[in-house]
Amino acid sequence: MLENSDFYRPNTKEELTEILRQTRGKIVAGCTDVLPRIRRGQAPVGCLVDISHVNDLRFIREENGQIQIGALTTHADLVASQFIQAAAPGLAQAAASIGSPQTRNRGTLGGNLANASPAADTAPPLLVLDAGVMLNKDGKQRSVPLQDFFRGPGQTVLTSGEYIEHVFFNRPTGQWGMAFFKLGKRNGMAISVVSAAAFLALGPDGRIKTARVALGSAAPIPLRSRSAEEFLTGKTPNTEAFREAGQAVLQDISPIDDVRSTAEYRRHAAGIAVERVLKMAWQQAARRKA
Amino acid sequence: MTKVQVNMSVNGLPTSIVTEPSRTLLEVLREDLHLTGAKDACGGEGECGACTVLLNGDPVNSCMVMIGQMEGCAVETIEGFSNENRPDPIQTAFIEEGAIQCGYCTPGMVLASKALLDQNPNPDDERIRTALAGNLCRCTGYTKIIAAVHRAAGDLKNGN
Repeated sequence: MLENSDFYRPNTKEELTEILRQTRGKIVAGCTDVLPRIRRGQAPVGCLVDISHVNDLRFIREENGQIQIGALTTHADLVASQFIQAAAPGLAQAAASIGSPQTRNRGTLGGNLANASPAADTAPPLLVLDAGVMLNKDGKQRSVPLQDFFRGPGQTVLTSGEYIEHVFFNRPTGQWGMAFFKLGKRNGMAISVVSAAAFLALGPDGRIKTARVALGSAAPIPLRSRSAEEFLTGKTPNTEAFREAGQAVLQDISPIDDVRSTAEYRRHAAGIAVERVLKMAWQQAARRKA
Repeated sequence: MTKVQVNMSVNGLPTSIVTEPSRTLLEVLREDLHLTGAKDACGGEGECGACTVLLNGDPVNSCMVMIGQMEGCAVETIEGFSNENRPDPIQTAFIEEGAIQCGYCTPGMVLASKALLDQNPNPDDERIRTALAGNLCRCTGYTKIIAAVHRAAGDLKNGN
């Protein structure tokens, strides 16, 4: 039996599994979201399981062409990683846009996803990388596509006692490009009014072979825009196509009025954000040798 | 909440306290250890950077760290920064550039600057602005603060 407590500090995945099995406690890591909420009385303190010392959840690695990023990887780790900058530049861009250096040094990738904010900045780039999330409960793994992971604001498919081990996606190959853009009220420390990510892969004929588009702060969850993706597939990449794709996303999003912006402005800005990320992704793809 | 024991290094000194683990590092620094250089200016939202400390060398907001997470960690505050009453070159640069008005943001600004200069001894304006983006000055004296970091970079290189 564990020592009777309401604050646990595992150092390994095995200890974490055992503590969660017995306590079903709430996981905390960077605390950048949970501490302000506790302080405002919006989150109960309850039984906490601090995973900030579980170092085997903090890694960036590649196995057989699959990139895996541990849940405890900080946003600062992603920004500093030359590997991520090369293999998933839009993810590095998104991580760099989060909070301040102080926040990026504490906030983690797993926390950004598990927190399930519609504005989670790492979600759109991971969605366009077609990423999956490896979960663990009682020592048993299950993998969930990221697009099925979010259920609503603050809600995910994570069940009691389950934690995120890592995020994974295939390393892009061929002639591809990706980008992330976030519209905030200011440049630093901004939560997005709307955000967008795009991934484009070009075929040998120069046409768009694969298009993936995702948005944040535009619906109850970060989501892919199938309308924009279907519109783009097979098209010749050009600014006109990107502009039309930006309009196609309006069929898929359902933004709201809130403290940061209005639904009307978000619909306007989402189209422009998508147009921009598509252009950036295309320019990056064009620079890459086929 | 059940109290826990936390063993950490504070400004190089081994420190052991027994307290509620969900209290913030900022609260413990100020109220238990009487190190009041780190300030609470935004109400624990992680917005202002006035509570910046170096945690294992990296700048973090001490209002966003639970004290229970500090086991085995090293924290450096502004109190541990000057050497034998001799200000650090970064502090001297802030004074010489007049980069202080009310002084509330200054400990955080100095520590964030220290973390930047440790990584990048010769940063340009853009790098300085990015590194200090999480430190708000409500006297709006950013121009002189940036000048101070440039001056400190020069001073650190010259070994003053």
